[in-house]
Amino acid sequence: MAEVQFSEEKLNKVKEIIARYPAGKQKSALIPVLHLAQEAFGGWLSAETMDYVASLLQLEPIEVYEVATFYSMFNLKPVGTYLFEVCQTGPCMVSGSDQIVDYIKNKLGIGVGETTADGMFTLKTVECLGACGYAPMMQLGKHYREHLTPAKVDEIIAECRSKANAN
Amino acid sequence: MGRKLLLDKAHIEGIRYYDTYRSNGGYAAAEKALKTMGPDAVLEEVKKSGLRGRGGAGFPTGLKWSFIAKPEGVPRYLVCNADESEPGTFKDRYLMEFIPHLLIEGLIISSFTLGANSAYIYIRGEYAWIPDILEQAIAEAKNKGWLGKNILGTGFDLEIYVQRGAGAYICGEETALIESLEGKRGNPRIKPPFPAVKGLWQCPTVVNNVETLAAVVPIINIGGDEYIKYGTGKSTGTKLISACGNINKPGVYEIEMNISVEEFIYSDEYCGGIKNNKRLKACIPGGSSVPVLPANLLLKTAKGETRMMTYESLADGGFATGSMLGSGGFIVMDEDQCIVRNTLTFARFYHHESCGQCSPCREGTGWMEKVLKNIEYGKGKMSDIDLLWDIQRKIEGNTICPLGDAAAWPVAAAIRHFRDEFEWHVAHPQEALTRNFGLAHYADPLPAPVAAV
Repeated sequence: MAEVQFSEEKLNKVKEIIARYPAGKQKSALIPVLHLAQEAFGGWLSAETMDYVASLLQLEPIEVYEVATFYSMFNLKPVGTYLFEVCQTGPCMVSGSDQIVDYIKNKLGIGVGETTADGMFTLKTVECLGACGYAPMMQLGKHYREHLTPAKVDEIIAECRSKANAN
Repeated sequence: MGRKLLLDKAHIEGIRYYDTYRSNGGYAAAEKALKTMGPDAVLEEVKKSGLRGRGGAGFPTGLKWSFIAKPEGVPRYLVCNADESEPGTFKDRYLMEFIPHLLIEGLIISSFTLGANSAYIYIRGEYAWIPDILEQAIAEAKNKGWLGKNILGTGFDLEIYVQRGAGAYICGEETALIESLEGKRGNPRIKPPFPAVKGLWQCPTVVNNVETLAAVVPIINIGGDEYIKYGTGKSTGTKLISACGNINKPGVYEIEMNISVEEFIYSDEYCGGIKNNKRLKACIPGGSSVPVLPANLLLKTAKGETRMMTYESLADGGFATGSMLGSGGFIVMDEDQCIVRNTLTFARFYHHESCGQCSPCREGTGWMEKVLKNIEYGKGKMSDIDLLWDIQRKIEGNTICPLGDAAAWPVAAAIRHFRDEFEWHVAHPQEALTRNFGLAHYADPLPAPVAAV
């Protein structure tokens, strides 16, 4: 694995984040910096990544681990290039999210929490994402995909594959 | 058409940006507050308006502000709770996404009133695209002199920062939010001390919901006395309701708190009735943690009065026959929905979201999920229904924060009002796997939807 080290640009971002808090309160920067790290280092947080964040913010590694394990958006093991996070809480459920989850499972041939053999897709079920009026829905990267139907899921999968091919 | 105070300009193209917002009357309230009113007058106006916290608890905002401690030389903070995570609730997202300057203006006025020179917007991590929108609005406002040093020459300084969470419902609880903002796990604190005395970094802090802060803007514009005229009784002003589930027009609606629940569900101005011409079975009117009500108790109170979309009317009858306005997360269920399955998803949600600090919540939410799963998947026993009742009672009131209550109430209400559906699941395990219980008698007598015409 490549050495864990932020680019100059990201390091500047870290400085900018720390400056939002009073002097000596740089621990407050932990969650924003973990987001940055997850984005920069393959979509998940390895022990090395967390130790690196600890050193940047002058924290004990345990302070980083206990936060990283608490929040559901931090992935503690590798995930596919495209992470489908499908909401399954009440309002989505009454709008058909169970069928969407089943459809994705069949289509990709994976279960919940699994990644396709080519490392392209991971399926995760999540709790309410605050898009109840536009259900069923999922998070894909930074954005929401709403009003899901099997046809829309097909489109999203095709879109991801063509994006991956282009890269 | 109901009158609007928050979303009246939401349809204007470009309202997300400063110039359009400003040319449509934006920042007039901030100017009035800072230049001609002063902090005490603003506080008086907010008290007069009767504004109640829009996050769910409904605590009077002016009163909350008046509690803030003012020790010499200690900074005070205003924190905007944008962690919107209560299932069924997506109103703050709408506000921030489409009229971010309304929130920024509300934050300026509120910070000025509280004497806070830094304000933090703590937004749920999944709303990952919204911080960009907010930060752009902040940059625009700063560029035009509404933020920074010596704002409008008044000597008042303010910076606003956006902080993303990372997926934890519990961080909507104000002390958990503060812990998270300090870079820790979102474990709620034992109160007292309350945040007004020892909050962020042990300094006096006020935490207000997005919609609450936005509502300060029209209150200053029109005055508290005028604000009261929108609404009824102690439910003053307008409320954003995020409507979802089996309705024709899900979405965010701003209502004057003087319309009936029936009008809200059936009129074309709002939800537009039940989807696919189905019948209404049940509704959770204020976010997943408030009690679910069967149709007959939703539309009329136990006393036979018309149920209104107000704090008081939705709570009429207490938990025996009423519910709560809560966060305004309005979840509608049609005749095809299964109460057991729906309750199971909420039990799973609360189990997932329990921070683990208090054993009644940490253990109890897991037991409730397990027992409900057994009932839903045909492995339940009649005694499980009483067991569920017993577990929820032992969680309620026995935890540091209200998540325990929030987990207990939906289970309690489901059993209270839909016990025969649970019993049917237990008695007919095979049938329950293939079909739902249906409407049964919950919606009888179903009144004719008067507002549908």
